[in-house]
Amino acid sequence: MTPTHLLFDRIDEPGLNTLQGYEKRGGYSALRKAFAIPQAAIVEEISASGLRGRGGAGFKMGQKASFLPKGEMAKYLVCNADESEPGTFKDRELMQKCPHMLIEGMIITTFATGINHAFIYIRGEYELQADILEAAIAEAEAAGFIGENILGSGHSLKLVLHRGAGAYICGEETGLLDSLEGKRGNPRLKPPFPAIEGLYAGPTLVNNVETLATVPTIINMGGAEYAKIGTEGSTGTKLVSVSGDVQRPGNYEIVLGTSSREIIFDLCGGPKPGRTVKMWFPGGSSSPVLLEEDLDVAYDFDTLAKAGSMLGSGAIIVVDDTHSALEVAQKLTKFYAHESCGKCVPCREGTNWTHKMLARIESGEATPMDLDILASVQTQIIGNCLCVLGDAMAMPVGSIVAKFRDELEAEIEAASERANTVPVAPVQDAIPVGAH
Amino acid sequence: MPRPEQTIVKLTIDGREVEAIAGTMLVDAAKQVDVEIPYFCYEPKLGEPVGACRMCLVEIEGIPKLQTSCSTPVREGMVVNTTVDRVLEAQNSVIEFLLVNHPLDCPVCDKGGECPLQDYTFGWGRGKSRVIEPKRHFVKPLALSPLIAIDRERCILCYRCVRFSQEVAEDWQLIFTERGAHTFVGTHDGHPYVAPFSGNIVELCPVGALTSQPYRFRARPWDIEGAGGICTLCPSQCNVEFTVRDDKVVRVLSRENSAVDDGWLCDKGRFAYQAIHVDERITEPLVRGESGELESASWEAALGAARAIAGHRGRGAALVGGQATNEEAYLLGRIVREGLQSHDIDSRLSGTVELGLTRALAAPALQATVADLEFAHTVLVLGTEPVDDSPILDLRIRKGVRRNGVKLAIASARPSTLDPNATLSLRYAPGSEAEFLAGLDAALSGTAASDEFGALATLLKDGGEDVVILWGESLPAQALPTLLSIAGKLGLTDRDGAGLLEVPNGTNARGIREAGALPNAGPGYSEVQAGRNAAEIAAALTAGDVTVLYLFQVDPLRDLPARASWDAALGKAAVVVAHASVLTEGLARHADVVFPAESSAEKEGTIVHPDGRLQRLRAAIKHPGEVRASWQVLVDIAKATGVETGILTAGMAFQQLTKAVPFYAGLTLEAIGGRGLRWPETDAAAEMPAGAAPAPAKVQATEPAPEGKLLLGTYRSIWASTEVEISPALAFTIAEQLVELAPQDAIALGIEHGAAVQVAQNGTRLAGRAAIRTGVPAGTAFLAAGIAENSANALTESIVEVVKA
Repeated sequence: MTPTHLLFDRIDEPGLNTLQGYEKRGGYSALRKAFAIPQAAIVEEISASGLRGRGGAGFKMGQKASFLPKGEMAKYLVCNADESEPGTFKDRELMQKCPHMLIEGMIITTFATGINHAFIYIRGEYELQADILEAAIAEAEAAGFIGENILGSGHSLKLVLHRGAGAYICGEETGLLDSLEGKRGNPRLKPPFPAIEGLYAGPTLVNNVETLATVPTIINMGGAEYAKIGTEGSTGTKLVSVSGDVQRPGNYEIVLGTSSREIIFDLCGGPKPGRTVKMWFPGGSSSPVLLEEDLDVAYDFDTLAKAGSMLGSGAIIVVDDTHSALEVAQKLTKFYAHESCGKCVPCREGTNWTHKMLARIESGEATPMDLDILASVQTQIIGNCLCVLGDAMAMPVGSIVAKFRDELEAEIEAASERANTVPVAPVQDAIPVGAH
Repeated sequence: MPRPEQTIVKLTIDGREVEAIAGTMLVDAAKQVDVEIPYFCYEPKLGEPVGACRMCLVEIEGIPKLQTSCSTPVREGMVVNTTVDRVLEAQNSVIEFLLVNHPLDCPVCDKGGECPLQDYTFGWGRGKSRVIEPKRHFVKPLALSPLIAIDRERCILCYRCVRFSQEVAEDWQLIFTERGAHTFVGTHDGHPYVAPFSGNIVELCPVGALTSQPYRFRARPWDIEGAGGICTLCPSQCNVEFTVRDDKVVRVLSRENSAVDDGWLCDKGRFAYQAIHVDERITEPLVRGESGELESASWEAALGAARAIAGHRGRGAALVGGQATNEEAYLLGRIVREGLQSHDIDSRLSGTVELGLTRALAAPALQATVADLEFAHTVLVLGTEPVDDSPILDLRIRKGVRRNGVKLAIASARPSTLDPNATLSLRYAPGSEAEFLAGLDAALSGTAASDEFGALATLLKDGGEDVVILWGESLPAQALPTLLSIAGKLGLTDRDGAGLLEVPNGTNARGIREAGALPNAGPGYSEVQAGRNAAEIAAALTAGDVTVLYLFQVDPLRDLPARASWDAALGKAAVVVAHASVLTEGLARHADVVFPAESSAEKEGTIVHPDGRLQRLRAAIKHPGEVRASWQVLVDIAKATGVETGILTAGMAFQQLTKAVPFYAGLTLEAIGGRGLRWPETDAAAEMPAGAAPAPAKVQATEPAPEGKLLLGTYRSIWASTEVEISPALAFTIAEQLVELAPQDAIALGIEHGAAVQVAQNGTRLAGRAAIRTGVPAGTAFLAAGIAENSANALTESIVEVVKA
């Protein structure tokens, strides 16, 4: 397959992370082009491109931008660089190797929407990338791309990089906004949506790194031209992070609609010799798992949704037959129970309870009936939470329980047999007694 | 912000037609048609809903996902279902989830029997547990503060207490720590949650996680009764519900009245009920015996001794404390004026105001209400510190600023805790109130002497018409004509949502004045032959012109300025009769007869809120010990002085009062009821005599303190009260002499925060502790008054010297 590279075009070229390197490749030409067309026309170009959000929800960027109220007021653009979905590491590479592409995209977006304050909220662990971005922002400021009256356009912008302190929930857009405001990073009740009442109660556009970094390409190509790439509902290219049991894990830029098998086998080499794909997460750890038989599904938003999963952040996690379903489910629940913010009941208690139930299976204290409880708890979580974190655990875990029920039942039996021969410590409470 | 206009929308909830005000949340609209939707985190008093507990999920036709009814406002034509299967499934899921970690210790839990979680578990739970996993554990219970115990295992993390701390009291002490199921409520560094309003979180808690230390394990919900009452510990007059067990008050809860208290209580009001049932309280009459000590006596003996006052016609005087009811004040007026044929009665202990001015300031057309504080364009807090003087108003002002965009201006000598919420904070030197108001008055006329005056005048004039001025009684009388002039210039008369609201020094100061306990006014602010005011009574006692003093719930050594001269004056009195519940110093030393006073939980009578709302006190418990109804005692005393009142019940006393006060005409106890009734809104308000404002007097500029000395200002802490002193639970709050100093003065004097200091003046020395407070203007020291020892009322001059002890 011949790769189409828009974002990752010669991404490893040395010096691309500097302004000089980026400009040599035509960087910031889209900005100049954008300044020459009316603001509304830029939003129209983005809408015409059909660009869907690359962070996970897949909401159309042009539509989101159009929700912002018009007129003079304090509006904000926030770039969500809290790339914390397990298995996702595409934004990291993009920010590290071509930070100016993101910055240019942000400047164009703020110009198009009349925003003068922008933030990049980057996860705290991305120290290198944050340093690179900070340097790039300084370069852009020095070059006059950020500041007052940029390139004589009349547009002014202040761009601030903010480092997170390590919470998955701060990747949820409203949790991110609270955190950015200096509060405990908890998701907010929606509505009001950030486009109406977001950061500091002002209208706020929140977009993922990859989404914003695509904007210069769209301006350069034209929205209609961009929309020709990919499928009708999923236009353009997508960075996918492939990890797990494949021979060549890493980031790849693919045209949306490519067959999943092509990505996993042709690009990444498939599982190690002699191994088979047991299950795979098409869009990060929050997506319901698919099986080997689903490998031919086209990798785009709509087809994956039809197949019962989702494209999510574009992180493909491949699990081969050396891993048990229980092990995978436990890894997931440990993560989500740890990362649940605790604000709403179904997520806080549901993730915690699910994790404890799975521990009981492992220690041989469960019966097959517990699988029914496990499954019903997942349905009790889905759709009832304040944000999607609860669903993000319940959907994959629910799918594992449904698809690997026989294996789990066998595991329950085996574990209780083991428990009879090997003394098993009682299930430890997750919280230390007397914590504070 | 003026109150929003209300439009009605129609919708259907469970097949029932509902008409609700636009903006109403579904959960509240449902209540209108008797549909109960369960919830834990929703509490409109706390502000915007958070939608955290997920208990109130309902189905709205046309929306695929279930929606939280606490955060979804009603919309025209909405069709809502609360009992369909998927809603019930979601609700019992939430209950099941909550019980994953909530201990099933209801039989030993204080909340058991009045617990929303318990009720909802019965009503909406599965009835059978599927959870066998171990629950989370914490050390428990822990003292969150000396008043509140926290049991973190029971906590369902509903957010209420944290939101209260952060968004209502704005003390920002309560926080969530950790994440997910590990989350717990705590404070920064585990510091105790000590704040003026902390007790509200106990009442907000929907489970037994936060319990009152004094109430813990004292009663079960099925052996208590609730009785409505009014807290009479400060002019806020919050509506309360006394929890009564075996004729004892064991708890005080709020009884929400948005016109008065908005459903909150301060910790004094919530916990000082203990003063009702402690040994320190006087529960039998005391008479000074042969030995010169006060001794227990029979009522017969005590009344007999008190009758001695009848022999001092023309030489009797009375002082009326703020906790007196209207009826008691009225009867005291009759005793003094008719019985003792004197005119010397006072209740405005901070100084006398001309009758015309008193009437003008109390004029119905000029009165703002408590709720106006929340919806005004601008609120000016003038010469009062709400959190000390009328605590619940502090919360109301914060609410207005936070939620309705009210602009707040503060003009005071002492820095205010509301300063951070204010658009403008102005400081004047203590004692220069009249000068300050003259400056503002001039600025409103267009000649601002300084930028500050100009800014304040602009804010008041151009910030919107609805201006409320919350002013403290401690403003000197000579400043009040100017206050009236300012109100006139701002057009506050006859304007709904605007006006003046006084914070008097005494709880029922307004009612007592209206009942005629003033030296220059009889009942209904009627003209009378002028008598002596408090300071003049002291002088007359010393001179021997007054020989009998009747002290109704007031101790001059405690509550009045010029302590030393009062001590001497009382020493000269032939007979001192007092009503009191605690034997304070002045009474112990000088009273000849002490009648036990009633607490507000025992009393029948009426009081008047500073905004003109008559409220009714009702007996929740029987009188402890030998305590008798004070109105009855006063009727007996009146009879001894030759006044046949004909009063046989508290209700008859009220009836007489309504006949004596023209603007109370037609009021009945039934009409006042449990919510109170503002007389300025009744037809009889027209009977209020018209006021007359004297021209503002010329004011003299206040001189700064000479080098090395400081200007003296005083304050009365929220905790400065005898009820607090004898309530064991509040022992840790007892107010001491905290001398507030500006940082630069403290540095110059070499005094550190918390250091022992001495305040000296003319040979009087007071011991205290230094409290260095930014915001205190340099050259000023603020001393506590109204406290048991080292009170500022020992000082008589305006300049003090503060030295390291």
